[in-house]
Order: sequence, then structure tokens, then C-alpha cells
Amino acid sequence: MKVLCFTSFTFSYLNRARVLFSTLRRFHPDWELVALITDAPPPGFFLDVEDEPFDRVVYAGELGVPNFRSWLFKHDIVEVCTAVKGPFLLQACQSGADAVVYLDPDTALFGSLAPLEEWLERDDILLTPHLLDPNDEPLAIEDNDVATLRTGIFNLGFVAIRTTGEGARFAKWWNDRLLTHCYDDIPRGLFVDQRWCDHVPALFDKVKVVRDPGYNVASWNLSRRKLAVDKDGRILVNGHPLRFWHFTKLGEVGDAMTRRYAGDNFPVYELWSWYKREIARTTDAAIPERWWAYGLYADGRPIERSHRLFYRNRPDVQAQFPDPYAAGPEGYRAWLMEQFA
Amino acid sequence: MAARAEVEEAYEIVSVAVDQAFYRAANPELDRPGFDPIRHYVEQGWREGRDPAPWFSVGDYLKLHPDVADAGVEPLGHYLRRGVEEGRAIRPSRRAESYRRAQGATAWRYQPRKPDAAAPDRDEGPQVDEAERAAIAGEFDSGFYREANPDVVDAGADLVEHFLLHGWREGRDPTPRFSVREYLAENPDVAAAGINPFVHYVQAGRREGRSPRSMLGFRYKIIAGLTSLEARVADAARRAAAVEPAAETFAAAAAAAGSRSALTDLHITFSHDDFSAHVGGVQLCLQYEAAEFAKLGRDHLHLCPATPWPTLRRGEPATLTAILNGRRLGAFPAEAVAEGLAALRGTGARGSFAIHNLLGHDVDEVLAILRSAGLNAGVFWLHDFTSLCAGYQLLRNDVQDCGAPPADSAACNVCLYGPGRAPQIAEHARLFRELALTVVSPSQVTLDFWRRRASYPTAAEVVQPHVRLVPRAAQPPPPAPRETGPLRLAFLGMPAAHKGWPIFAELASEFAGDSRYRFLHLGSARDLRARVEFHPVSVSLADPAAMRRAVEELQVDVAVIWSIFRETFCLAAYEALAAGAAIVTSPDSANVAAVVEAGGPGRVLADEAALARALESGELLDLARRVRQPRLYDLEFSGMSADLAKTDAAA
Repeated sequence: MKVLCFTSFTFSYLNRARVLFSTLRRFHPDWELVALITDAPPPGFFLDVEDEPFDRVVYAGELGVPNFRSWLFKHDIVEVCTAVKGPFLLQACQSGADAVVYLDPDTALFGSLAPLEEWLERDDILLTPHLLDPNDEPLAIEDNDVATLRTGIFNLGFVAIRTTGEGARFAKWWNDRLLTHCYDDIPRGLFVDQRWCDHVPALFDKVKVVRDPGYNVASWNLSRRKLAVDKDGRILVNGHPLRFWHFTKLGEVGDAMTRRYAGDNFPVYELWSWYKREIARTTDAAIPERWWAYGLYADGRPIERSHRLFYRNRPDVQAQFPDPYAAGPEGYRAWLMEQFA
Repeated sequence: MAARAEVEEAYEIVSVAVDQAFYRAANPELDRPGFDPIRHYVEQGWREGRDPAPWFSVGDYLKLHPDVADAGVEPLGHYLRRGVEEGRAIRPSRRAESYRRAQGATAWRYQPRKPDAAAPDRDEGPQVDEAERAAIAGEFDSGFYREANPDVVDAGADLVEHFLLHGWREGRDPTPRFSVREYLAENPDVAAAGINPFVHYVQAGRREGRSPRSMLGFRYKIIAGLTSLEARVADAARRAAAVEPAAETFAAAAAAAGSRSALTDLHITFSHDDFSAHVGGVQLCLQYEAAEFAKLGRDHLHLCPATPWPTLRRGEPATLTAILNGRRLGAFPAEAVAEGLAALRGTGARGSFAIHNLLGHDVDEVLAILRSAGLNAGVFWLHDFTSLCAGYQLLRNDVQDCGAPPADSAACNVCLYGPGRAPQIAEHARLFRELALTVVSPSQVTLDFWRRRASYPTAAEVVQPHVRLVPRAAQPPPPAPRETGPLRLAFLGMPAAHKGWPIFAELASEFAGDSRYRFLHLGSARDLRARVEFHPVSVSLADPAAMRRAVEELQVDVAVIWSIFRETFCLAAYEALAAGAAIVTSPDSANVAAVVEAGGPGRVLADEAALARALESGELLDLARRVRQPRLYDLEFSGMSADLAKTDAAA
């Protein structure tokens, strides 16, 4: 099976993508690895694919999204990095690959994903739920079970599809929805690309819910997953080989949730310790922290979220300013300031 | 810009404490998609009297503390930064009750800490909230609090009152099973609320599934402090570069030190450090070895890296400390040692060598030195597993026995020593190919394991224990048997994590009030935090039986030797057995478990949970001396490599 695997990120997450792709190369040297980047490189930094652990780069601007800069401006960094997964996945269905796997940049493999290829012989769409076992402690219910009711049953840090049949139909549908409705707007029932996939088991056939606890382990399911390392060097999750971990929220917030649910299950901290060492090793000093070229107007001023929301909700303003990033007295920002002065 | 920076700083500080759901619920008119409650509160909400959380009333805080109001600062941030420590009163939001009720909360109410409506005068002195006192009355452990806080007892304070008013703010715990500091650290919302953490736990936290103390364990702390092997090597290189090499040549220094045979009958040893200056098992073995060679009238040259190095070196420059017959000659580059030996030792010179540990050595340097001394056949000791991994104790990330799995395993991949594994093996393979090495293991279990994991060509493989238990010719009259009294459980030696000290200390804390047990620590260094009876004991070449004697005198029933790494020998286990103590250990302790399984006496328990269960059930009580009537032994130390040299000569 010819497999294309991609992740979507901005340059500030290049370190994470490097770690992910290195682990993918280790276990799947035959997969084509693609970096989907919604960003422009910071000054003084040059991305040389020859030196990177992936095969090629696709910039979001190359996806052919109509009115790209206008569309881009409507989204914050998380929204757009998830939104571009739709058009890329749809196009990848025409790339000659038999299957496409998406993994979030902050995931990393600890074992082979070969079983996915077997499952994709029978099913067309694979999804991993946030939770495989319910919680019964009040705090865990609030943190995990209730939270996923808001953000989506499946974690879209992973999805795998066949590029034909139901997989292709899913790719088209997801692409269409994400181009117009990939927002973090929980009161409206939207949470970026993820909440949409609550519909998938109803809208599509040949969907497999991956119930193996070795896939997509993260702080939100640690209350129900225990890690062990045996003397043969295998890392096991509830007795199943660990396949990939989702290192969500690198930093104190993530650490606190991990501690709360890992408790004294110390191999969890070993994995995080490894991940932090790897991130330190792959971090490029030439990329400023929190760099995002599309987080700024052309004159370098930061774009407030409220500016994006206003633009998103006003088709007339979108028509008036097809490139809202432009600076100067004729630009969107100057106009907006004038409106609300 | 400055004003902006202040807002950003305020945002950072209050962001963990602002209850966003509450803020939205209390201010529905503001709640639009994209509304950021924290930013709204920081930028304007507090000025409009909007409360950031159910437990904090902006209006009341400014009313109670006019100095804060005069300063015009944002009140929640002030409270978090300074107010908590200054003991300033707070009151809940007036919207708190209705909000909580809407949330369906019935079991827990916000208790105002100052129930009187008048603004309290802080000079009047604080008063206990009677509702709080009632809440914890049934759970507060007065006996524990009294024992742990003699200063409070001296002051004649009411203990519960002291805890509620001052104790928790000073980090004093109300029971041995509740940690004020850890509860606050793991529950930032409680810390931010400024409420008594034990009251919170009893009234709400327990029901919510919060832990009364950090349950992360000692391994969490070890992992949190790990540094990469790369960083450790870089640090070692810096330290090595700072070493001042000896001013004179190796030959001149050796001649000045004086020799026993003009180096014509020379024994060379290699290890990771100066055995005469450091304490440890390998160092003690080398002291015995040095003493034996002195008795034989042979010269003994010890070589070790001048500063520690965490792996084998592969070309990285560093000097070697040379010790001749117990006298330090100084630090020399390896080639200087090789040249000196070649110059000093003429044809017909005799010699032998023993490699105890190769950390910090370069295989090319070792080979050059041995060749210049005309030596090819020698001894390779298995004191540890440096020959399998840079993590020479085979403790993955310093926390768990790994069993030396395949180098490409998932475990090695996440281990900090993983990157050092393949080079370490390649270098040892080269050493074994170039030399005729007799592998000497202090225990059969170690040799068996090493054979399964290593595939180096050896000249021979032998087992030679460091000590033997020799039945005492005349058994002393049985010590006056203690017919009653608690089972005496002892930890022997350094209170180090890899020796299982935190596990023992935790047990001692867990069973502190259990009259069936008494916990002792016999060693030279004390852990002041542990609730364990300490007895100073120092083992040395001059008094090698000190530990055996102490175990006997204190009538220790059980030595808890819970090493978390593979013990290749473990002198403490033999000292315990010689003194009549039984041993309780884990399967990971290798030779300790092997000794128990070979007849003990003692138990090998599956894991730490099984150990705790065994104490709970009382199943270890039949290991008491009065039940077993143990036999006593003397310890007979081996001459280490000298014994093998003698054996060779005899053959």
C-alpha cells in the first residue's frame, strides 16, 4: 500500500514536526512524508528539505484555496492549521497514494503503524476517540468526558483514509466544511476541524473506530491508560504496544494535566522527558518563539483576534479588502480603526 | 507600551485564577463568540466591579483594604501577589451562591472567612471559622500534629486552631496522609483561592477525586531532573579540560614515589575513579585488591580518569590519574603513561592487569598502555554493566531496571542512555577482541545474565564472590530473645534512591503508627526528613565488620534491601545474613533475590505494592528472630584479582 503521511504546522512548530517525522522515518521509511506549512519562513531562516526528516513541503498558499489571503485572515493560527488539512487531504486523494495518514505535529511514534495498513484493507476511514473508557471521578469527568463533549468525540490529531470510496467521499465533505466552518466557536457547536467528525460514523460507511489503547495516548485519556515497560524493551499501554503518543500542550499546563492523571505511573514522565530532550535538540534558534508570519499585518503590527472576527462576519468588508493584511491608509486595519475611533 | 506591559503581566498572573465560566455566567451581556473573560476582566471588568471568580469579590476587597483601593491596582492580582501572604481577608462574590446552585452544587458552600459584616480590623487578631473547625474536627490528627510541631506545643496553642489560623500557611500538615504543600502545588485553583487546603479537601476535593498529597512518587522527581547524555558528556569535557597535568614525566613521578619491584612485577588496574578517595562497592573491592598486592610485594598501578566521564571516551582528550602503591602520582595523558611504562619496564618484566570499570577510559589508550607494559591477558570484572550500556546500572532513565533489551527497542529509544548504548558496546567488543580477558563475576546470577546479553569473545569466565559466609566456630549464646516487641525492619547503608531508600522511607511513614513495626536506618549518612530511627555505622577497611556487628547488636529482624537496580553482589545482603537478619527484596535486585531464593532467609516480593501489602497483612512477622533462631556467620573477604593471580601461578 502506497502511503502518504502529512502534518500541518507553522514554523514555530518545526521542532515538533521534526521529531514526529524522525519517528515516522524510523518505522516507515517507505511512506511519503509531507510537511504542510501555513506560514512564511522568518528572516534569516532557510528551510532546506534535504536536511529535514521529510520528503517535501507544501505551503498552504499552494493549495489553491480561492481568495487565499482573505480566507486565511478569517482564521487564527489553530483554526487555519486545522482548516488546511481539508484541501490537502482532498488533493492527496489524487496524488497516486492508496492511503493518507494525518498526524498532528505534536505526536510521535514509538512503534510501527503497520496495523493501520491492514485495517485500511477493509475500512476506508480510521478515527481515534479521545476516550475509550469512561471516567467515574468527578474531576476526571469534567476534565475529560465533559471537555470532549465540547470539542469532539474523536481526536483529529490522527485520521487515516483510503483515497477511494468512502475515504474519498469523506475527504471531499471535510474539505467543503473546513473551507467555510473551521472555527473555534464552541457556543455555536464548532470546534475547528474536530467537532465535524462527530458526524462521520453517521454520514459514512466503512468507518473504523480504533479502540486499541496504544494509539493516540494523551493527557485526556491517561486516567484510563497505564503504561509499563517490560524487560524486552517494549512500551505497553494497558498491555498493548504503544504506537503513538500525543504530546499535547508542551509546558506547565500540559504537565499539570499529565501529573493529575498519570500519578505515579512513571513511564509517562519518561516519555515526556524524552520528548522535551528531542524538542530541545531540534529547536532552531533562527526561528523566533511564537513566530507566525500570518499573525501580523504587512507593517508588522499584530492582528487582534477581534479584527479577524469582524472580518469573518462581514462579507461586504471581505469584498472591500481582498488582502486584509495590507498596511497603509488604504488597508483594512486603518479602515477598521477609523470605524471604531 | 509600559501600560500595555502591565496589562500583559496582570493577565499572566490572574489568568489561572479567573473562573471564565463564572465570568461569562455572571456577565451574560458580554458573552459573545470570541469573548475573552480574562482580558476583559484585566482591562476593564474589575474597574466596573465585575468579580473574576465566585470566591473573590472585587468590591469587598477594595472596601476591606482601602490602601489597595487608593493605589488603584487590580485587586485579584494584588491578592495573589501580596494579599495572600499578608493574610488579607477576602469575601466571595455575591453571585457565587446562585452560580453554584445553577451548577448543581449542593454539598459545598463558600464559607466567608470573616462572617461578621463589619470590615475586620486586622490588628484584632484572626479568629477561627467555626464551620471550618467543625469540618476538619473528625479528621485532624492531633497526635501527629503535636509530634511534628514541638514548637506549637511549647507555645501552648490549641492545635486545630493553630492549624486553621497559621499552620497551613506555614506548610504544616494536619495528618501524615495530607500534604499542605503538595495539595496546593497540584491544585492551583485551590492555591489561587487562598482557602485552607485541608478544609477544601475534606469539603470538596475528596469528592472530586483530588489526591490528598502528591502521588507522583520519587521516580517522578528523578525523571524531572534528568539531563541528556550529550549534556553530561559536554560537562565532563569541560571538567577534564580544566585538569592541570603533572609537571614531571610519569617515569620521574613513579621513581620518586618509590616502588616494590622497580615496576618489574606490576599489577595495573583500571576503574572510573580514585578508589582511595571515593566510597562505594567497587572502591572497597579495589582497596582489598590493593592490600593483597601489597602483601604479595608486587607493584600496583591504578589508572582512572582525572575527572568523571559518563561514557567510554572515543578520542576526546582527557588525562588519567595515576596511583602507584596507594600514592597519587598526578594526572597524565595516556601516551605519557605508556611511554613511562615502556621506559621503566625492561624485558622479562612480569605483570598482570584487571579492568574494574572502563567509564572515562578510551579503549585505544587502554590498549596502548597495556602493550607498552607487555601485557595481553588479564581480568575483566562484572561489578556493573558498563560493558552493556553507558547506563552502567541498567536503570532506564535512572528509575527502573531495563534488563538491557535490544538497543533498537522502544525502551532504549526513550532512555537518556540510549544514544550511548551502541558506541559503548562497539568499544567493548574491540577491547575483548584485542585482549585475552577472563571475565570475573561476583555472582552466578550476574554472569548468567551477562552471557545472555553480551557476545564478546572471552578467554574464560569465573564466579568469585567478594565475601564468603563462614559459620562461626563458636556460635554465641543465643541473644536474649525478644519475646515481644515490634518487628525491626532496617535499611542498611547509603539512603540513595537506587538502593530503594525512598521506598523504605515511604513505608516507614505509612506504618509509623503501627505498633507491629519499628523502622531503623543503619548507615553513615542520615536523611533528616525520614521518620526512621537512625544509627550511625561506618564500614571501612579498618572495621569491615561494623555493619554486621550493628545489625546483630540492634537485633534487626529484617533488612529491607529493595535495590531498584541489578545488584551484581551487594555486600549489605551478606552483612545482614551474617548477623542473622532476614532479607526482604524485589526481583529486580538480582543477586540479593538470588541469595534469598537460595535459602535466604527472607522473601522476594513482586513489587512495591506487594511489599506494602505484606506489611499490612503481617505476613513478614514470622521473619522475627525469635521465630527463626538464626545462625550467625563471619564474613571472609576475597583478595579480588590477587586471588586469581595466585590461582594462575599455582596452575
